[in-house]
Amino acid sequence: MLKKLTLSAFACFIGLTSFAQAKIQDVVTSDYNRQSISLVVIERGDSYDSATANAVRSFSPSEKYDINPISTKSIKVNKLRSESVSSEETGAAVAKVGFAREILASIFNRTSDGMMDDKTVRYRGNYDAKDQDVINARAARVGEDALGDLGQRLIAGSYIVATDFYKVERSTDKKGKVYWSVNARAFAYRIGLRENGLNDFYEKCWIYEDDDAATRDAKIRAFQALDIPMNLVATSSNSATSSSVESAAYDCLSGLITGLENVIPEWEVAVTIMARKPLRAKIGTKEGLSNGNRYRAYSYTEDDNGNLKSVPRGFLRATEVANNSGMSIGETEPSEFYQVSGLANIEEGWTIKQSNDLRVGVLAGIKTGSMGKLSFAVDVDYLLTVNTGGSMSYAIFSGSFDINQANYTPIFFGLGYGYALHLSRFFELMPYAMLALDHIGFSTTDTSNDRFIRESAFVLEPGVRVAVNVAYPLQVFAKAFADWNPEFIQGSLYKAYNQHVGHKSGFGLQAGLKWTF
Amino acid sequence: MIALTLLMTFSAVSASAQNKDRRKSFQSWDNYEITTEKVGVDGTKFVKVWGFGKNVDAATMAAKENAVHACIFRGLPGSATAMSTPPICPNPDTLASHEDYFKNFFAPGGPYLAYVSMTTDGVPSGTDRRKVKGGYKVGIYVQVMYDNLKRKLEADGIARKLSSGF
Repeated sequence: MLKKLTLSAFACFIGLTSFAQAKIQDVVTSDYNRQSISLVVIERGDSYDSATANAVRSFSPSEKYDINPISTKSIKVNKLRSESVSSEETGAAVAKVGFAREILASIFNRTSDGMMDDKTVRYRGNYDAKDQDVINARAARVGEDALGDLGQRLIAGSYIVATDFYKVERSTDKKGKVYWSVNARAFAYRIGLRENGLNDFYEKCWIYEDDDAATRDAKIRAFQALDIPMNLVATSSNSATSSSVESAAYDCLSGLITGLENVIPEWEVAVTIMARKPLRAKIGTKEGLSNGNRYRAYSYTEDDNGNLKSVPRGFLRATEVANNSGMSIGETEPSEFYQVSGLANIEEGWTIKQSNDLRVGVLAGIKTGSMGKLSFAVDVDYLLTVNTGGSMSYAIFSGSFDINQANYTPIFFGLGYGYALHLSRFFELMPYAMLALDHIGFSTTDTSNDRFIRESAFVLEPGVRVAVNVAYPLQVFAKAFADWNPEFIQGSLYKAYNQHVGHKSGFGLQAGLKWTF
Repeated sequence: MIALTLLMTFSAVSASAQNKDRRKSFQSWDNYEITTEKVGVDGTKFVKVWGFGKNVDAATMAAKENAVHACIFRGLPGSATAMSTPPICPNPDTLASHEDYFKNFFAPGGPYLAYVSMTTDGVPSGTDRRKVKGGYKVGIYVQVMYDNLKRKLEADGIARKLSSGF
């Protein structure tokens, strides 16, 4: 027994130690360089190939990516579109095409006679250079010409994104309008080329002006024989519905790229805070930043053994976005941010890293008032804008069900707009106004077209919502509101049923929890 | 049970010894990291150097001191893009034999500041700014006016001129 206990304790000790080591190694990096992608569509050999290919061709990813215009735009997998292709099937199709070779040919502007140049590499190096790179270059004897060389490190950040569209389904609504729903999956492959591989490439494949014909031929053959793998690094999924297959496929693409961003750390923008009050960081349109984008702050510590550790410190959202889409000259204009969570104030020098969210808050709680003594309520808000002072505007959807009068199925739902003020990052005060419908659907025999309107009443609802951060993205909220439900905007059936239900103008309260997705 | 007790005692003793070693190493001036970034413009050395202090400002000042200290006493290591640089005063007794001079030279706001410029963009940031036990450890990019520093030490009779041996 004693032996077992000792062994178990030892196993726990070893387990905890290795867990701790694994945690320590998981350090959020503060480096970020531009990545380049090429979108490729997976064809299935059916009638949807053309529409999906058009969707991919017309899609422009965020400005934060460089595009490698490779010649292969599609790969083929012979499989019915009723299900997604697997990673193995895509991998086999990708391996048949020399994508790495095509990427290098594109980056080095390779011509039909095998000649290449480094114009794109140097341009990208200059374009990616941060202010620190510019300052470093000026302090070095080699000077700012060295900035172009930074483009070499970007070659390893080249990806193929193979997109597959499956389960394409047609549906028709009551009015006869046709809709297409499409499921999509993306497979991101990274070029398997590191610095040594690049040196090898230059040595064996780069043709110089003074190379004789035999050497040229040998280098052209070496290029054709290049066997650089493309390695699968991540996948993502999405789906969309639209009026055509092409537009539904197109609508999937943005979500696919965002999904990949969430799982490929190199795709997430990271930068350091350069100033406080307001919080500022040197990123902007070049990194695809837009108002409301969410970032997470990290500071760094060293533990007792000298291991580096990143400590999450709260979230912030972009407010004023700087246009930095030019070459850095060492004085890049910063964008501004507002801190939305975290116990500590974000400090200069801390790293912030892209942390995408849907900007959607879901609020669930209980509501009481003149429009129902006890209702179960679910609200959804969408963050529209944020400004540096902390004010935010929201589009709001609210829905509730009067539990006390369940027999009459009284449902309340409305749309509105709210303007939130932050007295501190922990406390949000939001006046709002909403136009709602209170619907009492008792009748089951009436099939007339205007039945819904006759069973409903318009309600105007101004109110105030208070939300307090508990543990972001979880908040506690409370709402106080007035409902104005005059008789002249009540449907005839509504009036009749409402004699039993008893909804009327008056005041109400709602409270519950909010989670931001 | 005995094995478990022994294991825990061993871990505690080992951790305590590591902490002690670490505290000791911070007290020594020779305990800093410095790397040559690139070949500096004429007469300068372009290095990345680390410093430790109670706050970020103190750590930054310590890093600047370290950069000048390295040029005088330790020399600068080579890198992929730059050759190593020997110390201005290779004699290990120089610091002890001119203690008063260097106390004044490296005093807060002392003459050493004329030979070092920070080239970090803004404040030390990201992984170059680390909270450690007792303060901060920061890494900064600096340009050391190496030739001017050497001339100053030669003029003050601290470093020997190359011509003095002939």
